[in-house]
Amino acid sequence: METAAPIRRHRSFSFGRVWTIATGTLTQLVRMKVFAFMAIFAVVLIGASFAFADLKTEQELKMLKDVSFAAIQLFCMLFAIAGTAMLIPRDVEDRTLYTILCKPVSRLEYLLGKLGGMVLVLVISLGAMDLLFTGVLHLKQRTVVEQNVAELEYRPFRSQEEREKAVAEIIEVATQQGASWNLQAGMAAILAKSIVLTAVTLLVSTFATSTLFTIMVSLALMVIGHAQGLAREVLLDEADGAVLPRLVAGGVAVLFPDFKTFDVLDAVITGTVVPGVEVLKMGGLCGIYCVLYMLAAWVLFADKEL
Amino acid sequence: MSSVPAVSVEQLTRVFRVPGLRRREFTAVSDVSLEVQPGEVYGLIGPNGSGKSTTMKVLLGLLRATSGKCAIFGRDSARVDSREEVGYLPENPYFYKHLTGAETLEFYGKLCGLRGRELRERIGEMLALVDLEESRDRRLGGYSKGMLQRIGLAQAIIHRPRLVVLDEPTAGVDPLGSRQIRDLILELKRRGITVILSSHLLEQVQEVCDRIGIIFRGRMLREGSLAQITEVGNRSEIVLEGMTPELMEEIRALAAARGAKWIHDGHPRTTLETLFLEVTSAAAEAARASAGKS
Ligand SMILES: Nc1ncnc2c1ncn2[C@@H]1O[C@H](COP(=O)(O)OP(=O)(O)O)[C@@H](O)[C@H]1O
Ligand SMILES: [Mg+2]
Repeated sequence: METAAPIRRHRSFSFGRVWTIATGTLTQLVRMKVFAFMAIFAVVLIGASFAFADLKTEQELKMLKDVSFAAIQLFCMLFAIAGTAMLIPRDVEDRTLYTILCKPVSRLEYLLGKLGGMVLVLVISLGAMDLLFTGVLHLKQRTVVEQNVAELEYRPFRSQEEREKAVAEIIEVATQQGASWNLQAGMAAILAKSIVLTAVTLLVSTFATSTLFTIMVSLALMVIGHAQGLAREVLLDEADGAVLPRLVAGGVAVLFPDFKTFDVLDAVITGTVVPGVEVLKMGGLCGIYCVLYMLAAWVLFADKEL
Repeated sequence: MSSVPAVSVEQLTRVFRVPGLRRREFTAVSDVSLEVQPGEVYGLIGPNGSGKSTTMKVLLGLLRATSGKCAIFGRDSARVDSREEVGYLPENPYFYKHLTGAETLEFYGKLCGLRGRELRERIGEMLALVDLEESRDRRLGGYSKGMLQRIGLAQAIIHRPRLVVLDEPTAGVDPLGSRQIRDLILELKRRGITVILSSHLLEQVQEVCDRIGIIFRGRMLREGSLAQITEVGNRSEIVLEGMTPELMEEIRALAAARGAKWIHDGHPRTTLETLFLEVTSAAAEAARASAGKS
């Protein structure tokens, strides 16, 4: 008979269901045309690659990196907040959430699916921006080298040797400031920060009463995340080893995201090599924050009356 | 059949906190009990605000009970796995507008653990059942209310649940559409699926339900089989075609001779709904026939 429900053992947690919700969220965001902002990024990037043409080799490449990283970071973080803030309220308003939660889907799976969907979107958009940026930087690096070498023609060299040395110097500077794996550490930092912001925003949206509230609170948390490392240094310096301020600072760092560890962009832009351990540390911290915030979100969401 | 009821609601009470400065409370459902046996179609009727949706949400574990118990096939509603066996169509649902009909069914099918060929076949079957095959690749943003309710019904039963919960399945749907939904409910019944539905439209409930409960202001006023509730025991009705005045006289005389009391005679009226449906379905038939020829 058609009606007989096949015996399916229910598993209390299924990655399949999380993945279904994650890819569903990805589709939703893609069809809302969120990737349109990539066009704006492309314009910024190409504008930047022409804007600083009359600076010195090193400066020119640095400025291009500076502007690009700033733009990528801004896009990713704002997107993590604005995109995530609307996910749950929308499902609640449209009663889509009812149709999902009345399937054998636990609320934790739903939350993780939403987080996963945003992570997918972030990885895809960051990946695309990274590719575009690396490509432009690579081209720029080549033209800069060609131009500088061409300019050497008008300089009198005493020997061929000296000339070769000058060319080698140009190439070295350009390579150091050009496209490299070290820049990917900066991308990793941006991704990690954006994922932490996504988790925090998801947490806020489980108790927020409106999307606007969620966005404002998450923006505030983003600012705190960037400022608290500095504030802590100053305060702890003054407190000079007292225990209480240390505890308070530690508590603040757990409750609110602390982006200090992810602060590698300046180093990356000046060409300082970020050790692999630092990248692993960022990944680990991002994971810890996600687990913490998702657990809190689960506790709040599990008891939420829909 | 086993003796486990498909649905059992025992002395369910649900109190809402009314938001505001004063901690006022509002009892939406008060001491409601009901039981639905497997294979039955149960109708919960009552005016807006009487607690139908609240009862259903507690049954599905979307809301907690203030007191009392709900179970689906013997499994407590609060448990996630009780939802394996149930499909739900909420009141005025909106699904993801950006998905097509087929994608919607795919999404919900996957959430229920369907995969691969089984899922594809099931999607095809469901689209055929709810008559949306032609719109399978159109986005839901462009669906009419009736189509949305039908795709909603399809997602509710994609995983072959033994119980289907429908909250006002025909609200806001035109008569033709609501007739389609009625037929679908009868089809579910034919397949042995237990259905519990709510409505404030009495005629519709009368057409499909085996048993009904009348709920008003959170209380269950009356419950029983349709026959029990509506039957007027000692009266009968005869409808004849080709009646002549002579025959009428004969029947009257016979009735009087046997001691029966004549209460009423006249011509049965077509209800406006029946008339409307006749006219529109004839037109639809004609359109289909001419489309088939060309
Ligand atoms: N979340 C809620 N908070 C406060 N009151 C609610 C809530 N949900 C429903 N109610 C109230 O409970 C009563 C019953 O609502 P409902 O079950 O939706 O009725 P029905 O489905 O029969 O129209 C209504 O008066 C409604 O205002
Ligand atoms: Mg209702």
